[in-house]
Amino acid sequence: MLHIIDNALQQADINMPASPGSFDNASIWHHMSEALHQSLDRVLTQLIAVLPGLLAFFVSLAIFSLAGLLLSWLSRQLLGWVKFDSRVTHTIKSDWAPSSSPSEIIARALFWGCVLLGLIIGVSAFDTSYATGAALPISLLPYLTHAVGAVLLLIAGILIARFLARSVLISAINAQLQYARILSLGVKWLVLVLTAAMVLDHLQVGGNIVELAFGILFGGIVLTLALAVGLGSRDLVSRSLESRVEHAGERTNIPDDATTASRTIRHF
Amino acid sequence: MATTSPVPEETSIAERSTADLLVLVGAMPSEQFARALANLEVAFAPESVIIATSNDLPGEPRRLRMISTQQSSSGWALTPTDFVNAAQHGREHEARAILLLGPGADSLSPMALRGLADAVLKTSIDLAMPYYSLPPHAGLINSAILYPLTRAVFASRARFPLAIDLGLSPRMAEQLANVAQSISPANQTEALLWPINEAVAAGFTIDEVDVGPRAMPQPSDPDINSILSLITGSLFGDIEAKAALWQRPRRPSPTRHMTNEAVEPEGASDVARMVSAFQLAYANLQEIWSLVLPPNSLLLLKRCSVLDAASFRMPDNLWARVVYDFVIAYRLRTINRGHLLGALIPLYLAWVAGHINVTTSGIPAERHIEAVAAAFEADKPYLVARWRWPDRFNS
Repeated sequence: MLHIIDNALQQADINMPASPGSFDNASIWHHMSEALHQSLDRVLTQLIAVLPGLLAFFVSLAIFSLAGLLLSWLSRQLLGWVKFDSRVTHTIKSDWAPSSSPSEIIARALFWGCVLLGLIIGVSAFDTSYATGAALPISLLPYLTHAVGAVLLLIAGILIARFLARSVLISAINAQLQYARILSLGVKWLVLVLTAAMVLDHLQVGGNIVELAFGILFGGIVLTLALAVGLGSRDLVSRSLESRVEHAGERTNIPDDATTASRTIRHF
Repeated sequence: MATTSPVPEETSIAERSTADLLVLVGAMPSEQFARALANLEVAFAPESVIIATSNDLPGEPRRLRMISTQQSSSGWALTPTDFVNAAQHGREHEARAILLLGPGADSLSPMALRGLADAVLKTSIDLAMPYYSLPPHAGLINSAILYPLTRAVFASRARFPLAIDLGLSPRMAEQLANVAQSISPANQTEALLWPINEAVAAGFTIDEVDVGPRAMPQPSDPDINSILSLITGSLFGDIEAKAALWQRPRRPSPTRHMTNEAVEPEGASDVARMVSAFQLAYANLQEIWSLVLPPNSLLLLKRCSVLDAASFRMPDNLWARVVYDFVIAYRLRTINRGHLLGALIPLYLAWVAGHINVTTSGIPAERHIEAVAAAFEADKPYLVARWRWPDRFNS
C-alpha cells in the first residue's frame, strides 16, 4: 500500500512541469506523503495489534461450538438411553408444554451454553488484545456487548409476545368473545412495545425520551383498549358477559332425572 | 396401607382371608355407598368376595367382608392409586378376579356387577370393559375422540376406553399397577391410565360386558376446555408412548352390537351456539390451524364454516383427519401443546353440533358413532404415514 502511494506521488512529481514554485510543491507533496505514511502506519499497527485478538475470538468460538455440538449429541444419546422424556412426562405435570421435548431442550441449552461461553472467552481475548494495542479509547466493544444483550432481549420479547398472543386468542375464542383477535393483538403489541423500550434502554439510545415515549405509548394503548371496551364495545361486552353468566347457570343446574339428562349435552 | 376410617373388628379376619373376588369401591357419598353394597350383596355370595373401600365402613353388620383402603378417587375417573390398591389387595387376598368400581357405581345393577366379574372368573378374560347405555348426548368426548381413536389405533372395539368400572385378572391388575407406580406421587390423583392400551401392549385378552345404564360422574370442573385438554392430552400422550406397538398391523376385534334408538329433536339452541363458536374460531384461528392441518382439511373446514346451524355437518373422514393431524402435531410439538389442545376445542364442538344434527334427523346416535369410528379405521394408514414421515404434509 505504502509503495503504491509512494509511486503515485513520485509519478505526480515527474509529471509536474518545472516552474518557479516547484520546490514548494515538492515540499508539500513530501509532507503529504509523510502524513499519509504516518496515518497508514498507525492504522496498520492497530490492525496488527487487533488481529491476534480477532483470531483468538474466532478460534475460541469455533472450539466451543464444536464442544457444544459434541456435548449436545452426547446428552441426546444419554437422555434417550435413560428414557428421560417419558420419565419427565410422568413426573412433572404442568400446563407449561414447550414445543420441544425435555431432552431436546437440554441438548440445545448445552450447545448454546457452550457457544455463549466461547463468545464470552473470545470477546474477552479480543478485548485484552484490543486494549493493549489500541491507542484510541473507542467505546465500540462495550457497545457490542450491549448490542448482543439487546438482540437477546428482542428475541425473548418476540417469543413471549407470540406465546401470550396465542394464549389469549385461543382462550378468548373458546370463551366465544367476538373481540378475541383485537384482544390478542393488543396483548401482543403491549409486550412488543415493552420489549422495544427495554431494548432501546439497554442500548442506551434516546435516554429519557424513550422512557417518556414508552410511557405515553403504553398508557395510550391501555387507555385506547379501555375506551374501546368501555364505550365502543359496551353492548358487545355486556352480551358476552350475559351469555357467560347464562352458560355458568346452565352448568350449575345439571339435571338429575334421566329424561332431562337425555336432552342435555354431556361431554364426559 | 394407611387407613383413615374406622374399621370393624371383623376386618382383621377379612384382611387375612382369601376370596375369589376382590371389589375395590371408589369414594362416594354414604347413601350411594350403601346402595352399592346392597347391589354387591345381591350379586355375589358373601364368602367369595371381599370389599376394599376408602368410604366409611357401615355401622350395621353386613354379610360382605370389608377392608379399608387408601383414599384415592378423583371423583370422576379411576386414578393410578386405584390400580395400585387393586393389585396390592388382590395379591394379599389371592383374588382370582378384581372388580374396580368407580364413583357412582351404585347405579350399576347386580347383574351388571356379576357380568363384569364373571367375564374374568369364568371366561379367563384379563380385562372386562363395561358397555354403558348412556343417553345419546352424553359421553360425547368418548364418542368423538376416545372410542374411534382407540379403536383405530389399538384395534380394540371397547366402546368406553376410559370406563370407570373394570374387571381385572390378577396379572392385568399387576400390569396396570406397574404402570401406575411409574407415575410420580404428585400426579397420582390427576393422571389417567388407559387400561385397553395397556392390555393390548401386554397381549392380554379383552372383552366387553353390557352393563346397562349408569350415572356417569362429572369432573369437578365441568368446563369443556379443561376436560377436553386433560383427556385428549392424556390419550395423545399414551399413543405417542406406544408408537412402536400400534404401527404394526393388527386384526380388529369383532364387530359389536349396537343399539338403534331414535332420538327426539332436541338441543337446537346448543347446536346454534356450537356452530357459531366454530365459525368464530374459523375466522380467527386460521393462523394456528394452518400449522397443524393440511390445506385440503382447511378447505373442507371452510366449506363447513358457511353452513347454517340447521344443516351443519362435519364429514366423518374430515373429522378423522383432523384428529389424526392433531395427534401428529402433539407428537411433533408443532405448537405448544396447551395451545394445540385449545385449538381443537372449536373443532370438537363443530363435530358435536354435526352429531346432534345427524341424530335429530332420525339416524341413531350409535350408528353415526360407528360410522365415525369406521372412518378412523379407514384412515389409519394416513396416521401411520404421517407419523413416520411428518414432512409429507399433504396426502
